[in-house]
Amino acid sequence: MEKTADRLSAKAGWFDIIEVSGTGTPLLFKNNRLHSVTESQNSGFGVRVSVNGKTGFSYTNDAACLDETADRAVAMSEFGDAEDFDLPDKTGTPFEPYDKRIHAYDIKLEIGKAEDAITAILRKFPAANIDCRVTGSHGGMRIVNSKGIDQTYARSRYAAYLSAMLIHDDGSKIEVWEGTSALAPVPYESLKEKIMYKLAKALKNKKIPSGKVTVVVSPKALARIIGIVTAGLNAESVWKGISPFAGKIGEPCFSADLTICDEPDRSGSPYSYPFDGEGVSARKKFLVKQGGIEKFVTDLKYARKLNLLPEGNGQRPYSALPRPSFSNMVIGGGAEPYAGMLGNIKLGILADQFIGLGQSNTLTGDFSTGLDLAYLIENGEITGRVKDCMLSDNLFKLLAGEIAVSSDREPVGSVLAPYILFPQVNYTS
Amino acid sequence: MEQDFSHIRKRAVSLLSGCGCEYAEIRLSSGKGTAISLSGDQTDTVSSGETIGGSVRVLSDGALSFISFNDLSRIEYFFTRGLDVSGTMRPRRKTRIRSCKPVRKKFYTKQKKDICALSLEEKFNLISSYNSILKSSRLIQTTRAVYRDLRSVSVFLNTEGSEIIYDKAYCGISLASIARDGAVIQPFHDSFSGYGGFDLVENREAAAERVAKTAVDLLAAESAAGGVYRVVADQKLAGVFIHEAFGHLSEADFIYENERLKKIMVPGKRLGPEELTVIDDGTIPGLAGYIPCDDEGILPEKTRIINNGLLHARLHSRETAEKMGEAVTGNARAVGVANQPIVRMTNTYIENGSRDTREILEAAGDGIYAVGAIGGQTNLELFTFTSGYGYEIRDGKLGKMHKDIVLSGNVFSTLSNIDMIGNDRQMFGGLGGCGKEGQSPLPVSFGGPHILIKNVLIGGAP
Repeated sequence: MEKTADRLSAKAGWFDIIEVSGTGTPLLFKNNRLHSVTESQNSGFGVRVSVNGKTGFSYTNDAACLDETADRAVAMSEFGDAEDFDLPDKTGTPFEPYDKRIHAYDIKLEIGKAEDAITAILRKFPAANIDCRVTGSHGGMRIVNSKGIDQTYARSRYAAYLSAMLIHDDGSKIEVWEGTSALAPVPYESLKEKIMYKLAKALKNKKIPSGKVTVVVSPKALARIIGIVTAGLNAESVWKGISPFAGKIGEPCFSADLTICDEPDRSGSPYSYPFDGEGVSARKKFLVKQGGIEKFVTDLKYARKLNLLPEGNGQRPYSALPRPSFSNMVIGGGAEPYAGMLGNIKLGILADQFIGLGQSNTLTGDFSTGLDLAYLIENGEITGRVKDCMLSDNLFKLLAGEIAVSSDREPVGSVLAPYILFPQVNYTS
Repeated sequence: MEQDFSHIRKRAVSLLSGCGCEYAEIRLSSGKGTAISLSGDQTDTVSSGETIGGSVRVLSDGALSFISFNDLSRIEYFFTRGLDVSGTMRPRRKTRIRSCKPVRKKFYTKQKKDICALSLEEKFNLISSYNSILKSSRLIQTTRAVYRDLRSVSVFLNTEGSEIIYDKAYCGISLASIARDGAVIQPFHDSFSGYGGFDLVENREAAAERVAKTAVDLLAAESAAGGVYRVVADQKLAGVFIHEAFGHLSEADFIYENERLKKIMVPGKRLGPEELTVIDDGTIPGLAGYIPCDDEGILPEKTRIINNGLLHARLHSRETAEKMGEAVTGNARAVGVANQPIVRMTNTYIENGSRDTREILEAAGDGIYAVGAIGGQTNLELFTFTSGYGYEIRDGKLGKMHKDIVLSGNVFSTLSNIDMIGNDRQMFGGLGGCGKEGQSPLPVSFGGPHILIKNVLIGGAP
């Protein structure tokens, strides 16, 4: 990398080179049995240059070809846009999203843990088909740039995913999935408990007519649907004029009960990082605070175009240029526990898994989604499953209206989310 | 391409011949790709990159391991890891796979206009010209015009003695306009891709014009009221429908170890009208789902998954075919050399029926004509798919334009609700693709003629 950096110094106004490497060992159980064990080794380099103010980019995963890749990036710059942002000249590694206990990941031990979880579910639901994927991985990220930065951090991730499917004789089907992730191996008994609870509650089918209905969105469902909002909190969307929140910094767009934070330094999360793919130190920021738009996530390019402060959201794989991206998304909790929220609902729907969400034109907040797993709430109790039905509404309007946010929150991938209650949502069945 | 791994191939053959396990395969790949992405007046990306990679899959005493890597110089180490990992697993239930005759062939993509012989400037100029068309209205807020190509060589070797070399060329474009009028923001897009040369993406000006016009027209369109409709699906939506609603269910890895599903999915079961025939065919050159052989070294076939309305066959890998005692179909595909092959579709379509479109619209009476597709998803029982736009049908005639038509239904009841099948089948592909078990996007194509479906649920306010 040093040799290539020297080579680029003579040719480019500025440059950065990232090196991403990692190894992983996923175990895959399919249909209640160990199907396969995988080991993966991968690494790659991305080279970005500015030549005469124009940006060029190339990549390779063959270390022997790094000089050629750098030359190609220079050649590409002829077609790039003139961009006048500059690279950072200092960054640091105050923490690493890494736990050395990841090396205790043991194939035999993990096979045993997965078999225990599957056996427990089968004891209660003998006809279930259960899949499980458990992965331990670790690697590193290094960035070198023409401003003198040469920084590295190590990362580790342990992830477990469990799903169970029941099929009835008429072909109807219930599938429930749960997952967890951490920096190093952790127990995941809670996943099987949740799955068994959700399967049991879904055995009886219930129906209600189409109309406006109270809907509680679970943390798992909220983690997905909130993407309709966060797509507009991205500086690239703002610059391109397709964000509904452009020019609305400081304005209240949502209920005061809604707060969304981007937290790249969240302790214990494998989605955290000390600096982004451009070497910018990553900092926590409020995107929505008590319903008001606070900030947009940005990389260096759009920070310059929109006069924003870059705070470490220019993420990228080695094979692509940086783009504004979220790290850990933390949605603020409310005052009331979920149990109390549920207890007060006379008739409503609890939505847990969507199907087809995000295929419609969500730029304006509209959504129309099938319900893969949803329950009927009657007099404060979950009484069965609703299926063959859809929710269609405008998420921005729903979030700007009256909502209730639970105090308890659950991690779903990189999102920490509460339950949110919407009093009236269009329901079609 | 010059890279054909001749040196590593010899080492790989030696590893396979001496391994002594039930089955093993080695896949190697090297590729070079170009990506150009423009939006509005801006160039988002112009990049070119190269990747290499390899993988080893070993079945030893019923235990299946898969090792992927990009340091090909250490192939002996990774092969040994495959054997070691299999030895560690000791599964309670063993995996068995179908043995097949070896295939020793070289394949290459025929290109009228070789993508590697063209300059970057020619590629840039073509996508720039489409981008200019995409932003041709003052109501277009921004655009996204993407060009991508990939030239790669892949090698497949296994313990049965197969040696397959595939030199392939793939290219495609994606064209999107995003129109805006005040708070109303309306995107529309179309995409084309396939195996072949640069000529696949040339002369698409009319498509770019259609994208821009449709985005602008949709600004004034209203959503359809939610409810249950008679729906006429055009050829593209019919293709997405059959891919989502039934294609996935015919992938045998969903069935082969599920006793309940096996009882439901019995060959000969009536699923749709007599006129309904559904085919998956990886042998059609040029289309995005074309494969000369699958990623387990099996030659593809034309598989009738529904024949005259009856469940006929399913799509198989070596493993699912062995377990179910059925023939392999050449449908084990991986999105890249670093992924395990799993059962996937290729080019999937509804075969032509007898009706013409006018007849179908008239028969619809009052309903919705749904055109094009933004996407679709299934959970094997339920599906949803979103059409690009549509029109109301009043008394058999097209009326006002609708946007955001999201259709949802039960796979089995919707298949049996197909009322009429047209005679104007077309096939579609694009730069996107199909996703399954984290492997996305896999190039596939889909299509069909116009079809009329009864009792389709469309989401929305009443």
